[in-house]
Amino acid sequence: MSELQPVLTVKDLKVHFKKSPGYFKPVERVKAVDGVSLELRPGETMGLVGESGCGKSSLGRAIIRLIHPTEGTIDIGGTNFLALKGGALRRARPSIQMVFQDPYASLDPRMTIQEVLAEPLNAHLRLSSEEKNRRIQKIISAVGIPKTAVHKYPHEFSGGQRQRIAIARALILEPKVLIADEPVSSLDVSVQAQILNLMKDLQREMNLAMLFISHNLAVVRYISHRLAVMYLGKIVEAGESREIYKNPLHPYTRALISAVPIPDPKLERSRTRIVLTGEIPSPVNPPSGCTFHTRCPYAVEKCRTTPPELLSFNGSPQLVRCPEIGRIPRQ
Amino acid sequence: MGEVLHVRDYRAYFHTRRGIVKAVDGLNFNLSAGETLGIVGESGSGKSVFLLSLLGLLPKPPLRIESGSAQFGGMDLVTASEDTMRSIRGNKIAMIFQEPMTSLNPYLKIGTQLIEPLMIHRNKTKDEAFKIVKGSLLKVGIGDPDRALNAYPHEFSGGMRQRVMIAMALTTHPEILIADEPTTALDVTVQAQILELLKSIQKETGMAVILVTHDLGVVAGVADRCLVMYAGKLFEQGSVDDIFYRSQHPYTHALLKSTPRLDKALAALPSIAGTAPDLSKLGPGCPFDARCEYVKEECRNSFPTAKRTEEHESFCHLEKLP
Ligand SMILES: Nc1ncnc2c1ncn2[C@@H]1O[C@H](COP(=O)(O)OP(=O)(O)OP(=O)(O)O)[C@@H](O)[C@H]1O
Ligand SMILES: Nc1ncnc2c1ncn2[C@@H]1O[C@H](COP(=O)(O)OP(=O)(O)OP(=O)(O)O)[C@@H](O)[C@H]1O
Ligand SMILES: [Mg+2]
Ligand SMILES: [Mg+2]
Repeated sequence: MSELQPVLTVKDLKVHFKKSPGYFKPVERVKAVDGVSLELRPGETMGLVGESGCGKSSLGRAIIRLIHPTEGTIDIGGTNFLALKGGALRRARPSIQMVFQDPYASLDPRMTIQEVLAEPLNAHLRLSSEEKNRRIQKIISAVGIPKTAVHKYPHEFSGGQRQRIAIARALILEPKVLIADEPVSSLDVSVQAQILNLMKDLQREMNLAMLFISHNLAVVRYISHRLAVMYLGKIVEAGESREIYKNPLHPYTRALISAVPIPDPKLERSRTRIVLTGEIPSPVNPPSGCTFHTRCPYAVEKCRTTPPELLSFNGSPQLVRCPEIGRIPRQ
Repeated sequence: MGEVLHVRDYRAYFHTRRGIVKAVDGLNFNLSAGETLGIVGESGSGKSVFLLSLLGLLPKPPLRIESGSAQFGGMDLVTASEDTMRSIRGNKIAMIFQEPMTSLNPYLKIGTQLIEPLMIHRNKTKDEAFKIVKGSLLKVGIGDPDRALNAYPHEFSGGMRQRVMIAMALTTHPEILIADEPTTALDVTVQAQILELLKSIQKETGMAVILVTHDLGVVAGVADRCLVMYAGKLFEQGSVDDIFYRSQHPYTHALLKSTPRLDKALAALPSIAGTAPDLSKLGPGCPFDARCEYVKEECRNSFPTAKRTEEHESFCHLEKLP
């Protein structure tokens, strides 16, 4: 797969939100995304996991230009996406689509499902109404919503059903890159399995590159070829998904993997976890040095002062932002 | 320990122009103090409608409670007056909602929303309320409570909003905490921290928890008993071990098989073909019939009666699951 050219290249992306906490107080900067680089190739899924609030959604939103990045570049299929304006931007937009985290907020309550799905088609493509209906019927049955339901409104569906509609809306333009922000987290397991298999199939068929944001590491394990673990706006570990699950390096990745619940009550009762203590730091005042040091069981003095870089581990393709790995006991 | 909630033959239907939606159609269970009851089930199976209607939070009409009772603290929540319900909600029974964005007011600072219920329900002064709220924010892992109190909901990530909801629910020391997908937006290290926190509060105060989740791992880890719902119907209930190791229902079985597991690399994930039925067009049979691999004639004609072994109850026409 790696011989293919990346369809999406993100370099040193930063998203900083400015916010004034009150009169006479200095403006605060929330460093939601703080220097993220990644590449996606056609047909490849990269899982993105990490602490709640670590900037995953902000990264996704910046990549589709829903919010403006503070710094960095985004290249889509060889064009500088951030430089596009007007008609060129409009033509480029269908190739990168996003499924949003909150299926409640992302569907307009006044539009029927038919209208929700027709909207992107009307905005970007000129299709006959027959062709339009054909596409809508096709995608709606692909995501498992009864065809007879297209004239209903979002509030008439359950959370899970609404998420399927949101996926249908993102895929109806047949994008090259799909950013899926927690696409299955509100779904029950049987539907989750369907949607995951559906996304895998559609991805193969459409040769889609996918950034799959989730906090469910079991789901990510099933769907991703590669994996990136984020903490406070930065990637702390990245590589082949299989390798990371087999051999997690960064202390945060290890804690994450050990905290994933397993659907087996006896196993759960007997398991020991790496329980992290310490406050979850705020991205307004990220800790000095390695931002994970406040919760890291292995932190030493150097971790408090020197920000580590994301480096290859022993020359392997697995990248990790922790120079102390050699010192940390293996599980 | 004593029983805190006793639900019998609970049915809640929506009466809409397109017909009657049987969102909850015959629910029976007991909840004891200190116990955690997990509710799992198909999306759209009526879990949220059940919990919201139990607390009187759904407009009637279109909703109507067709039958049943829910005994809590010597009264029936189904027939209780709106005033009574208002004094119970967010107080004796607290709820963490599935949609944090809709239950937090977008125009009010988080601080205002957390502090007011304490001043109203618990007669706290503003300063006392502030102290309590800061404490609960710290407990749920919000490290900078002062900033959080001064922020508006949209300035928070999904997971942070969810934690704010949890903090809000815990400030009043409820007897029952109803949590609808409380940790879906959280990463697992924080989830573990919050579930631990709930457990310790339960030990300390005897709070009972009803936990709706799609994460069977969470149920395996924290629930004592589990209830499986499908299309408004109760399909199976029992101890977590009954459900995970001795399930008698094809739907429960299929659910367990289609759960991706971290401890197993899977090439393919089995999924249940088809979709859940339209709840306004249900026939007399089992609503799972069209998707069930063991379906037989009688499944289409009647809904099965309960098969029981002690606490374990399952509703299926099959003699025994192969
Ligand atoms: N519009 C905004 N204004 C100010 N701060 C924001 C805004 N949007 C997000 N943030 C902050 O940026 C940080 C990252 O938020 P983001 O939503 O990207 O996190 P996330 O990783 O998607 O979290 P979750 O897993 O909880 O969804 C958070 O601290 C959040 O409070
Ligand atoms: N106002 C309404 N009018 C008509 N039907 C409704 C209404 N609200 C909900 N329903 C229907 O009631 C059923 C139960 O919905 P509910 O939200 O309880 O499902 P759920 O089990 O919580 O699903 P999820 O796991 O996706 O959250 C669904 O089929 C839904 O379409
Ligand atoms: Mg997010
Ligand atoms: Mg629900």
